Amino acid sequence: MLKDLIEKHLLEVQKPSRYIGGEVGSVIKDKSKVDVRFAFCFPDTYDIGMSHLGMKILYSLTNERENYWCERCFAPGEDFEAVMRENNIPLYALESLDPIKDFDFIGFTMQYELSYTNVLNMLDLAGIPIFAADRTQELTQIVVAGGPCVCNPEPLADFFDIFILGEGEEVNLELMDLYAEMKKQGASRDEFLRSAAHIEGVYVPKFYHFMYKEGGTIDRLEVSDGAPEVVHKRIIKGFDKVYYPDNFVVPFTEIVQDRASVEVLRGCIRGCRFCQAGFIYRPFREKHTDTICKEVKCLCENTGYDEVSLASLSTSDHSEIDPMLTALLDYTVSERINLSLPSLRVDNFSESLLEKIKKVRKSGLTFAAEGGTQRLRDVINKNVSEEEIMNTCRIAFEGGYSSVKLYFMMGLPTETDEDIEGIADLANRIIDLYYSIDNRPKGRGVQISISCATFVPKPFTPFQFEPQDTREMIEHKQKLLLDTVKTKKIKVSYHNPEVSMLEVILAKGDRRLCKAVYTAWQKGCKFDSWDEYFNFGKWTEAFAECGIDTSFYANRRFEYDEILPWDHLDYYVSKEFLIRENKTAHKSITTPNCRLRCSGCGVNKKVGRECF
Amino acid sequence: MLLIRVRATFEKCGRAKYISHLDLNRCMLRTFRRSGIPIWYTEGFNPHPYYSFALALSLGFESSCEILDFNLNEEMPFEEIRDRLNAVMPEGMKIIKVAEQKQKITAITEAEYGFSLSAADTDRLYSDIQSLLAKPEILIEKKTKKGIKTVDIKPSVKVMSCEKTDNSVDMTIRLPAGTQTNFNPTLFIDALRNMGGETFEAEKIRRTGIFCENNEIFS
Repeated sequence: MLKDLIEKHLLEVQKPSRYIGGEVGSVIKDKSKVDVRFAFCFPDTYDIGMSHLGMKILYSLTNERENYWCERCFAPGEDFEAVMRENNIPLYALESLDPIKDFDFIGFTMQYELSYTNVLNMLDLAGIPIFAADRTQELTQIVVAGGPCVCNPEPLADFFDIFILGEGEEVNLELMDLYAEMKKQGASRDEFLRSAAHIEGVYVPKFYHFMYKEGGTIDRLEVSDGAPEVVHKRIIKGFDKVYYPDNFVVPFTEIVQDRASVEVLRGCIRGCRFCQAGFIYRPFREKHTDTICKEVKCLCENTGYDEVSLASLSTSDHSEIDPMLTALLDYTVSERINLSLPSLRVDNFSESLLEKIKKVRKSGLTFAAEGGTQRLRDVINKNVSEEEIMNTCRIAFEGGYSSVKLYFMMGLPTETDEDIEGIADLANRIIDLYYSIDNRPKGRGVQISISCATFVPKPFTPFQFEPQDTREMIEHKQKLLLDTVKTKKIKVSYHNPEVSMLEVILAKGDRRLCKAVYTAWQKGCKFDSWDEYFNFGKWTEAFAECGIDTSFYANRRFEYDEILPWDHLDYYVSKEFLIRENKTAHKSITTPNCRLRCSGCGVNKKVGRECF
Repeated sequence: MLLIRVRATFEKCGRAKYISHLDLNRCMLRTFRRSGIPIWYTEGFNPHPYYSFALALSLGFESSCEILDFNLNEEMPFEEIRDRLNAVMPEGMKIIKVAEQKQKITAITEAEYGFSLSAADTDRLYSDIQSLLAKPEILIEKKTKKGIKTVDIKPSVKVMSCEKTDNSVDMTIRLPAGTQTNFNPTLFIDALRNMGGETFEAEKIRRTGIFCENNEIFS
């Protein structure tokens, strides 16, 4: 039995409880009584994957169906991978400890571009052919992917049988229903894929064939096997009524987000032009306060967690934020539960809200200002004024805070040196503000942390057409920022630009990149999002060997009339709208949030109703 | 405020043996919260349920006799506490009994461990063990806070049983345990391995008893 073999070596590795299952909340079924087995794979380690809310939702939802069994699977750490390879332990699922190669579905959630090589490594560890074309004609081992990255899945197209676009709660079950039915009829893999392609939200990449122009851009797309010309993403019918798990698998080892979590809203009204999540998760929908309270209580009771967080893209945009927090705090305070509120915006940060936050957390405040000058913030449509930032900081300082963390991006469209210097200027003005406040925290200096990420243009945003800054430009700006900051009260940190350089290639790439992803993995690339594993040199070699000019994807402006690798996928936001927003950005004109005025992104036409 | 001191004895077997001591702490906190038993919280700045384990158990060891002390702030029958906790415990962990705290934790002097040494030639392994035990001293290197120390464990090892089977030698030994000295059975196993005799694998290491002076079972 595989379990004995695993146990024989388990004590040789770090944090072995990650590899053996048995956690409270995990679902065990009798495999002889289930029709479809689904291995939900997260292409990173347990510690990270177990923190992912989407997996928790889809895991519980699938397991509600008596005859379907969803299990969890993660990338092993390097030490355990070595043990697995040496002892021929195939990648297995944590509930049954059965090899995932025997499963009906092997489903990956693609949360970030830098996890692509982990998918290949996991398929290899599982003993599943890495290329979809090499898999058996038998109806088994269907390798699928969902998550935000599949809005442009082309750099992964050769490795997957199916991509699931949009929200999975309904389409996953429809896909499994179809599979169960066709399995009974003895259908082949291709027959199943041809039928599956007609489920809304299902994209079968092998039925789509790209032809390229001389210059490298896409000439046209040919669709075969009767698959639809355009694949629409799925959205669930009623968000307030949608299934939400009443229990989580509670890990033994500490994970990154080790708490209960309740989704309070989906989508975002803001329309920040760099933010992919702000567009691909539209329309904006929220849960009622009563639903949220009920779900918080239920999860805390069943898991035993003493901390709960509210998950969303922007929690303070919930229309009932004040009464919601009042109701939640009534429960959490009496039960000694910590309530954590990530994703707050500076512009609607009221004093009463701060009072409530102060009750629940003692840690620092973080604001995403994104741009150093008002002009640049207008370009990116981060509708936050300096006055609002200052006002929020004032409230925070008067409320006893003495440190503030500010997030910025570097390399944004139209950015000049002035905008970079503006970052330091803004931080300096916050310091001046601190010392101008009479009732500031006594005896403490102020600390401003500036965290700078490199801008990565992403599909389905108004900036999808934009080039990324070259390495030289980014390095120049980083140096400039460091030179501009002249006080120890400001701490500057920024990300490795090479990570962002790879991210943009994979985010905006086309199908020709598959072989580079494969080559990079063969050269040993994995865990690319981990600093200690990231090896840009190997990636550069892989691109060169595959004849790929990375600047074609990273540093070239994509034309408005160009066929983009993701144009046949419909995320409900129209290309006309994205072009319009792009042009507006270059005029430094902002677009009001969706609640104030509909910006005509096209989502309401697809959904068949007004968003507000 | 009412405060009732309680002692639970629990098993940690099967997959639960991979829960580290640190993780066990977190795991019990959540188990208490799920169970809804009226556990007493500390009254400081950051109130948290008070509970403690008598002895840490090495990662990978099973046990049939782990001790967990905690306090209640409301009366509840011991059987109900046991049943409520067992209803929400992770797989492999089970409360055997809940009772009053008779002895102090400091009364613990020894712990008993059972394990199985599997080998191709069990006769040879058996005689290796006998000759190790016949030595005037068994020196091992023990990691302490002050660095590596050479210790003679010979006076501390009490062999309770040593039996040969077809493919293993099964032993039960007692070693010093408690707040002062703690010897891990792997020290003995390593000493045997360092003799360079018959090669073997140590399996199924399990703590089977915790004792006080005069061989009295700690409870």
